[in-house]
Amino acid sequence: MSPADIHAASRMRDRYAIVGVGETAYSRASGRSTRALGVEAVRAAILDAGLDPGDIDGMLSYHSNDSTPSPAIAADLGLRLNTYADVIGGGSSTEGLITYATGLIEVGLCRGVVVFRAMNGYSEVRIGGTGARAATPVRGLELADRPYGMLSAGQRFAPAFMRHMYEYGTTSAQVAHVKVAHSKHAASNPKALLKTPVTIEEVLASRWVVKPLHLLDCCLETDNATALVVTSAARARDGRHRPVYVMAAAGRVNKARPDFLYQGRLTTVAGAHARDLVFGAAGIGPEDVDLTGAYDAFTFTAMLQLEEYGFCPKGQGGAYVASGAIELGGRRPNNTSGGHLCEGYTHGMSMVIENVRQLRGLADDYCPGAAEGIHTHDHRPGRCRQVKDARIAMNMGWATPATGSALILRR
Amino acid sequence: MRVEYRGMALIVPETDSEWHGYFDAARGGRLVVRRCGGCGLLRYPPGVGCPWCRSLEWTWQPVSGRGTIHSYEIVVQAIQPGFRDWAPYPVVVVELDEQRGRPAPDDGLRLVTNLVTADWAPEREESVAIGARVEVCFQPLAADFALPQFRLSGEPPGGPLWRFPG
Repeated sequence: MSPADIHAASRMRDRYAIVGVGETAYSRASGRSTRALGVEAVRAAILDAGLDPGDIDGMLSYHSNDSTPSPAIAADLGLRLNTYADVIGGGSSTEGLITYATGLIEVGLCRGVVVFRAMNGYSEVRIGGTGARAATPVRGLELADRPYGMLSAGQRFAPAFMRHMYEYGTTSAQVAHVKVAHSKHAASNPKALLKTPVTIEEVLASRWVVKPLHLLDCCLETDNATALVVTSAARARDGRHRPVYVMAAAGRVNKARPDFLYQGRLTTVAGAHARDLVFGAAGIGPEDVDLTGAYDAFTFTAMLQLEEYGFCPKGQGGAYVASGAIELGGRRPNNTSGGHLCEGYTHGMSMVIENVRQLRGLADDYCPGAAEGIHTHDHRPGRCRQVKDARIAMNMGWATPATGSALILRR
Repeated sequence: MRVEYRGMALIVPETDSEWHGYFDAARGGRLVVRRCGGCGLLRYPPGVGCPWCRSLEWTWQPVSGRGTIHSYEIVVQAIQPGFRDWAPYPVVVVELDEQRGRPAPDDGLRLVTNLVTADWAPEREESVAIGARVEVCFQPLAADFALPQFRLSGEPPGGPLWRFPG
């Protein structure tokens, strides 16, 4: 990106805001269709925004597996769309779709855009690759790896994780801290599927899935839907809550090739290409970020992103996540709702939703005054999840080592 | 070409302009990659255009089949039902001897396969290491279909070996 490109992106700083968020319960058996889930989450987000539903005229979703297309959701809510897009392509889609939403409003095609994700990720199609995914014929791109028993996300990423351990001496015990931290955060989240804190020893004793990944290094699979509403800063002032402004967004940024095992450095992830753009456009550096949402499909992915975006020197991600910095009460808490490892699997939506609530001062934790934004900041598990003086949050999304995304929000 | 292997249908029709030539060569016991007609760089998996110089001209280039393990994983819990009896099994990223460190220092010509023994069983975890020297072999799946694999070659490694400590 040239300085001119970064300058152009910086002109969008604070022009757009996330004004509404909503989700269904996280479960292993929703008992409903993704259409019903999507309608519930989108409706909740529109109500949370306090906007007139007629002001929602754009809809974007990450459409994978069993999701329901946007027009069906919109019709069920009585919304007429000027545009919609249901994309494929993995977990970086959340920040990507938010980027696209700001563009749609900037060009005047939409006034308000909903971004949602609806999935029966446990009871129907599991990312872990069992069942439906494993039964499809192998052809084209997949001939390079599926015949060798490499199918699931964990199986496709593990050689990159292994290479980080080889090149930098990263250890299983270090990355286990990611699961431990997120489990403590989830204990203060009524919505989380897994609310019991775990220890390093428990992570390391959990059974192997694909080395170097233990079971507890891997994310949940859940049924759920999530949604958020993007609108202009001007329109956001009429909303129900204080706006959360988009300082910068970069969606689905890629390394030179998507087949990441075959070229270049396995330990360099896509964030290396998004980093200068988003920090440059936002006009801040990593030291200005108060809390993060680093995509935790696996413990390793959160570590790799935090490192690649410069929250620690390259190669020291293991030490960084083991330092206490990422825990509530630490210098820069990560995934304060428990993330994909402990709250529920949402392809990154839940992490943006959590950071919106954090920046509003309205983390939905166990503080008696949480609904009014009154928090104790006692971060022992089962109590308060609100980060004190949270001003700037950053989300880092991950599809693969070769495709990622970033979003910087401020109150 | 079509073959059932470990519960998967591997399908390579003549219209698969990327893979048909690759598996044609594999059936004859040859490992080939694409050589760019513009800049001469080798690429794998077989793609339509050169990711470096963008030329659409290419030829199939036989390679020695010798390489070094660049990274690996050990699948303990098989996801695909057809691999359950094979687990735990290694999946290796092999860097071929050709084009190491080119075009950029961190680049290399790489393949993903299993690491197998002489009788097509998964190599033992203890024998898998980054830095181990390997050579290609061709696992017969049907009369008209062979799957490239790698096995330990027995050559002395060029440097220290690294195994996952756990």
